[in-house]
Amino acid sequence: MSVNVYKRDRQVIIDPLVTCMPLGAMWAVLGINHGVPLVQGSQGCSTFARYHLARHFREPIEIAVSSFHESTAVFGGKKNLNISLKTLIQRQDPELIGVITTCSSEIIGDDVYGFVDSNKQELKELGYDNTEIIPINTPSFAGSHFAGYDNAIDALIKNLATPNENIECDNNINIIPGLLNPGDVNEIKHMLDSMFVPYTMLTDISETFDSPLNPKKQKTPYFGKGGTTVNDIKNISASKGTISIAKYAKTGAETLKQTHKVPAVTDNLPPIGIKGTDKFLKTVNKLSGYDIIDTLMTERGLTLDLMADVSARYLAGRKVVIFGDPTLVTGLTSLVIELGMEVVMVTTGSEEKTFPTDIESISKNQSIDVFSEGDLKVVEDYVKDKDNGVELILGSSEARFINYDTGIPLVRFGFPVYDRVGYHSQPIVGYRGAKRVVEMVTNEVLAKYYEEKHWKLQQ
Amino acid sequence: MPHKLFEIDKEIPEREKHIYIKHCSDEDNEIDCNKSTIPGCMTERGCALAGGRGVITGAIKDVIGLVHSPVGCQYYTTGVKRYPSKPELPNGKTFPIDNFNLKYSFGTDLKEANVVFGGTKKLKEAIIESNKEYPFASAIYVNSTCTTGLIGDDVDAVCKEMTEELGKDVVAFNTPGFSGVSQSKGHHITNDAVFDRLVGTKEPPKTTGYDICLIGEYNIDGDLWVLEKYLTEMGLNILSRFSGDASHDELCWMHRSKLNLVRCQRSATYIADLIEEKYGVPYKKVDFFSTEYCDDNLRMLGRYFSLEEEAEAVIEKYHGEVKEELKWYKEQLSGKKVYIFSGGPKSWHLSIPLEKELGLDIIAVASQFEHLDGYDKMKARVKDGTTILDDPNSLELEELILTNKPDLILAGIKEKYLAYKHGIPAIQIHSYENGPYIGYEGFLNLAKDIYNNINAPVWKLMDFESE
Repeated sequence: MSVNVYKRDRQVIIDPLVTCMPLGAMWAVLGINHGVPLVQGSQGCSTFARYHLARHFREPIEIAVSSFHESTAVFGGKKNLNISLKTLIQRQDPELIGVITTCSSEIIGDDVYGFVDSNKQELKELGYDNTEIIPINTPSFAGSHFAGYDNAIDALIKNLATPNENIECDNNINIIPGLLNPGDVNEIKHMLDSMFVPYTMLTDISETFDSPLNPKKQKTPYFGKGGTTVNDIKNISASKGTISIAKYAKTGAETLKQTHKVPAVTDNLPPIGIKGTDKFLKTVNKLSGYDIIDTLMTERGLTLDLMADVSARYLAGRKVVIFGDPTLVTGLTSLVIELGMEVVMVTTGSEEKTFPTDIESISKNQSIDVFSEGDLKVVEDYVKDKDNGVELILGSSEARFINYDTGIPLVRFGFPVYDRVGYHSQPIVGYRGAKRVVEMVTNEVLAKYYEEKHWKLQQ
Repeated sequence: MPHKLFEIDKEIPEREKHIYIKHCSDEDNEIDCNKSTIPGCMTERGCALAGGRGVITGAIKDVIGLVHSPVGCQYYTTGVKRYPSKPELPNGKTFPIDNFNLKYSFGTDLKEANVVFGGTKKLKEAIIESNKEYPFASAIYVNSTCTTGLIGDDVDAVCKEMTEELGKDVVAFNTPGFSGVSQSKGHHITNDAVFDRLVGTKEPPKTTGYDICLIGEYNIDGDLWVLEKYLTEMGLNILSRFSGDASHDELCWMHRSKLNLVRCQRSATYIADLIEEKYGVPYKKVDFFSTEYCDDNLRMLGRYFSLEEEAEAVIEKYHGEVKEELKWYKEQLSGKKVYIFSGGPKSWHLSIPLEKELGLDIIAVASQFEHLDGYDKMKARVKDGTTILDDPNSLELEELILTNKPDLILAGIKEKYLAYKHGIPAIQIHSYENGPYIGYEGFLNLAKDIYNNINAPVWKLMDFESE
């Protein structure tokens, strides 16, 4: 029916829903096989991000930093970068180093492109020319971690993708997953594998952020298992098309379209829920020419079967608030509406331009309050306002106190989730992911809104 | 050869001077510390903002913690440590929101235009708005960051103006991340700012002859409450805490204490020194990890305040409660090899207790940001052959794991999962697993966590059984 768009009416942010650009860039670089993010900045810029990523994934998060101190602020960061690159290459021999700029390096005017160029020359003379070094601009004051991710993917494509004349093409498609969890990337791979579609994931954190424990085979220095190889990225210009799952991460796909004429699909809603997944598979089918096979339709049927079981009986009309990244929120809104629930408020914390219209396009006959550039305080005030009648919150662990204080269930999604386990390794995308979301949401409703000994729960 | 160059460090030989193998005849051989990290070496260190806002002021229960920065620095100040707080205030009132310090972070969300044209206007608005939102907050603490340090925002001037306008303390902490070589600089800046700006500005509601300040105790996972219980039961009155579960006002009357106790000596000896110098309040460095240190320090306080009998009663009660269980854990844990990788001084706090009271074998100790006095203590408290590392990096950690095969590592979250990948259990010693870890019952908690981690069946399932 309609969306009512509100903007945060204060300058001060009270508990942000987004973090800085470098974190998004680190995320992207860590999805590369033997890739190392190198933060050109102060130590906190790497340490804080490592802490937050480690807390969410419960995995080692190895991020290097060029350790800016007072003297760097005066004399510039060239020397820091020079020593960092040499040290990293000599000790770790990575396939790729993403040089991630920060507020400080950008403000003091470090020319990282120039630094990297002169360093490459010097490293080559020393015999170190196996490592790709990619500068990525991510001053935090210019955007959120979504923008940082986008910049990183774009920088990787710009620097690595080679012209496609000499590359064998096997109906490959490129996927830019956005800041999805390992379980989601795995689910996308599962759908593509089921259809036998060859693909390149730009980039693939499904194993680097969820690595097996096998000490005897663990090599040193530590690199997470898997990840997209540099070579695969070099060949992406020969692909049949690029799908950006997240709208905030479409610049790379557009670059590839402009420079190498690879078709780009960047405007779809994410494959969360039935319709979103249907649309995704149709897009894959259209780009690659491969059929959507029955196995996937069986998965679709299983999810519908559960939705039929629970939606009218337990979920109909229940009022839901959703916050998180714009892709996650649009996707979950779509799924929650497919369940017959009522989405009353959504917010993202970032300035994604199309977000309100995206929500409007899926809002059906519902009236949804959309807060752009919200923060957790916006969510709290809305949830605590009894007139809004909120019955369920979908979002990250950051809302745990709202959950404790109000007793309104919080189904944890997005980033970060640190007070429950398993959320990052299981999917919410695809039909199987949708089934899992329905299970999670329904179980929370059953636990909270049905008296446990009541006969209503007997059958 | 007291210094050691790790295999992985052959390209960065400067590291040799930071790594020391304890040897009885090399007592004077100094260890390089509190120096710049080698860029790109995979350090575990953080920044001045982490040391200031993250470690010290983030623990205070009734202030608005406003980070003047683009969104990232603020985001990262939430939830970094487990610092619970209770809403009770020293004036007998109750703060309207419990765990206010854990729940809310405030930030100016600087954008490109602010970087170009300056952020002070936005800072003022943010201060006014935060105050409007939470008018009952006792004060507003503003941290500057790399961005605001570099663009030259005069945060001190804004805070001064706002203090007058709002009629409550608005305090500037100048903690750009690039100041100093580690978190340690942030501790120092924050100590100085609290002393200069707050200490001596208020008077406590009442004073007694038994008033003490607990300095450098941040209430990680409830540590402070354990100590508070012992100290109160023996008749002491905790006038101020710096800064676990502390209220703003009590920082302002720290000068009225009869004796200051310094718990974390790396992050907070500065303010104890300053208070002693200006107000003549003496301080004692104390150590409450383990039963023996607890006994010793409670007795010392008993003697100081002529409360010997009361101290003995507390010792008997609480030491008695854990004695038998600890004995059992010592039998189980004897000979297990442990590596202590702490942020600051826990490497020397814990080395002797873990060996003496739990039978563990400390094979290596390390610190991210200790200074020479701390390393002297480390050297004095470990046995010959122990490796002492300053500012170790993750590659050194891996080499140490593979050469020494420890049974357990005490470290932070960044090192924990790396240790796991090499098949070694690890406990978070910065934020704890199932703490509190201080005091008698805390040491028992630590013993339980050590036992449960070393003996978790998962570590014996690593090899595939082909039979």
